[in-house]
Amino acid sequence: MRTLGVLLAILLIAVPPFMAEYHVYLLSLTLLWGIFALSMGLVLGFIGEINFGQAAFVAIAAYASSLLRLKLGFSFWSAAPVALALVVGLAALVGLITLRLRGPFFALVTLGFGEIVRLIITNWQDLTNGPLGLRPIAPPESLFGLRFDSKLGFYYLVFATLCVSLAALARLIRARTGRMMIAVREDEVLAGFVGIPVLRHKVIGLCFSALVAGLGGLLIGPFLTLLAPGQFDLFASVDMVVMVVVGGVGTLAGPLIGAVFLVFMPEALSFARELRPVMMGGLLIIVTIFLPGGVIGLLRHGLTRLSSAGRGRLAVLR
Amino acid sequence: MLAQQLTNGLVLGSIYALASLGFTLIYGAARVVNFAYGEMLMLGAFVTLMVMNGLGLEFFLALPLAMAVMAAASVAIYLVIVRPVIRRTELQVLLVTTGLLYVLHDMAVTIWGTDPRQMDMGLDGVLEIGDVIVPYQRLVVVVTMLALVGGLYFMLYHLRVGKALRAVAQNRFGAQAIGLNVDRVVSFAFAVSGALACAAGALLGALYAVDPGMGSAPMLKSFVIVIFGGLGSVPGAIVGGLVIGLTETLTGSYISYGFKDVFTFLLMIGMLLLRPQGLLGARRS
Repeated sequence: MRTLGVLLAILLIAVPPFMAEYHVYLLSLTLLWGIFALSMGLVLGFIGEINFGQAAFVAIAAYASSLLRLKLGFSFWSAAPVALALVVGLAALVGLITLRLRGPFFALVTLGFGEIVRLIITNWQDLTNGPLGLRPIAPPESLFGLRFDSKLGFYYLVFATLCVSLAALARLIRARTGRMMIAVREDEVLAGFVGIPVLRHKVIGLCFSALVAGLGGLLIGPFLTLLAPGQFDLFASVDMVVMVVVGGVGTLAGPLIGAVFLVFMPEALSFARELRPVMMGGLLIIVTIFLPGGVIGLLRHGLTRLSSAGRGRLAVLR
Repeated sequence: MLAQQLTNGLVLGSIYALASLGFTLIYGAARVVNFAYGEMLMLGAFVTLMVMNGLGLEFFLALPLAMAVMAAASVAIYLVIVRPVIRRTELQVLLVTTGLLYVLHDMAVTIWGTDPRQMDMGLDGVLEIGDVIVPYQRLVVVVTMLALVGGLYFMLYHLRVGKALRAVAQNRFGAQAIGLNVDRVVSFAFAVSGALACAAGALLGALYAVDPGMGSAPMLKSFVIVIFGGLGSVPGAIVGGLVIGLTETLTGSYISYGFKDVFTFLLMIGMLLLRPQGLLGARRS
C-alpha cells in the first residue's frame, strides 16, 4: 500500500510537465477536490457526522485571503495564516455549540451555517461585491524562487498542499488524539466512561478538518481567478460527501479515490454532463445501502477473499 | 403598521409551521432526519399542479388527490432507501436522505425545467379589518394549517394508529415488546409526513410560484423551527413556526431585509445554548 502511494506520488511529480495544459488543469482540479474530500473524510469517518457547512469553511478561507490581498495589499503568503486562523476559530465555535449535543444537531446546524455564510457573502455587497463575485484573483506571489503563475507551477502548489494535508492527517489519526477520536466515534458513552474528553476530541477533529478545507480554500481563488457565492452552495458540500462515501468512509485514501472517480473521470471522458448530479445522489444512496465500505471496502473484501481462499488450501494441507 | 406586520408574521409563521410538521413527525417517530423533506414539498407542489392540469380540477379538489400520491411516494421512499439502513448507524440514514435530496432536486430540474410556474388557488380578494389587510389566499393557508393540525392531533390522541405512533416515538423497544408492528407504524408516519409535505408545498406554490428550487428555503426554516421548538415535538413545530415567522417579519421590516435569516439563525443558536432540547422538546436521557 505504501509502495503504491510513493509510486503514485512520483508519477504525479514527473508526468505533468509532459501533459497538455488542459490535463494539468484537470489534474489540479481533481487534487483540489481531493483536499476538500479529505477534509470531509475526517468529519464523516472519524467524528461520524456530516458537515453540510464544509463548503462554507472553504468559502471563508477563500474570501478572507482574497479580500486581504485585494483590499489591504497583503501577499498570498501573509494572508494565509490569518484566513486559516479565522476558519479554525469558527469551526471550534460551531463544534462547541453543536457537538456537545447528542442527535442530529451538528448536521442541521452546519446546514444552516453554510446557508448563512453564503447569504452574508451575497448580501454584504460593499465588501464582497455580492453575487457578481471578486475578480481578478492573482496567482500566489513567488516564494523562495518558486513561481506559481503558470498552470504547472500552480499544479505543484496544489500537489504539495495535498501531500502536507495527507501527511498531517495520517499522523493525527495514528497519534493518541486520533486513537481517542476513533474511540469516541465507536462508542461515545464508553469513551467518556474510560475518561476520554469526548467533546474536546470531536472539536479537535473538526478543527483539523476545517484547517484542511481552509488550505484548499486558499487555493481555489487563484485557481479559478474569481470567487462568487454560488460556488459554495449546499451541493458543493454534498459533492464532498459523495466522494468520501464512494471512496470509503473511515480511510484517508478513500476520499482521494472518490475525487478521482467523480472529478477526473467524468471530465476526462466528458461523460453525460447533465446527468452528473442525478448520478451523484444516486451513487450516494446505492453505495451507502449496498457497499458501505466504498471502493476501499470492495478492494479489502477482494483481498481477504483471495487470501482466505489461499488459507483454506493451507488448512486442507494441515 | 405594527398590527399589519404582526398579522403578516403570524401568517408566515403558519406556513412555516405547516412545512415543519411532517419533518418533525418523522424524527419523533423513527429518529430519521429527512434531508429531502424540502424537496418533497417541491414535489408535492408539482404533483398538485399536474393533477390540476391533467384532470382539470380546482386547486382544493386536486390537493387531496395529490396528498394521497405523495403519501404513497413517501412510504416508497421509506421502504426502498431508509429501511435498509435504519438499523445501521445514524450517519447512514443521513447519507441516504442527503442522496435523495440530490436526486429529487435534479430529477425535477430535468423533468420540469427551472422556470417558475403559476398555480391558481381560485381565490382573489382581501379581508380588511381596520387597517389590517389579509388576502384570502393567505387566510386559507392559516385555516388549512389549523385544520391539518387539528386532524393530526385527533389522529395522535384518539385513533389507535396515532396512539401506536406515540408509543413507538416514546420507546421503540417497549412498543415492540407489547406487540406493535413498529415497521408498519413507521411506514404510516412516513405516509402522513408525505401528505403534510404535499399540503405545505402546494400552498407555498400557490402563494409564490412552483419551481424546482422552491424546497430549499422552507427546508432551512424547518430546521431552525424544529430545533427552536424541540426536535420531534409537534406542538414545538407549531409554536416554533409562529415565533420564527414573527421574528423574520419584524426584523425584516424594522432592521434589515437582506439579513432577516441571520436573525432567526441566531435565535436558534441561542436556544441551543440555553435549552438544547428546544422550547417544548422533552429532555432525552
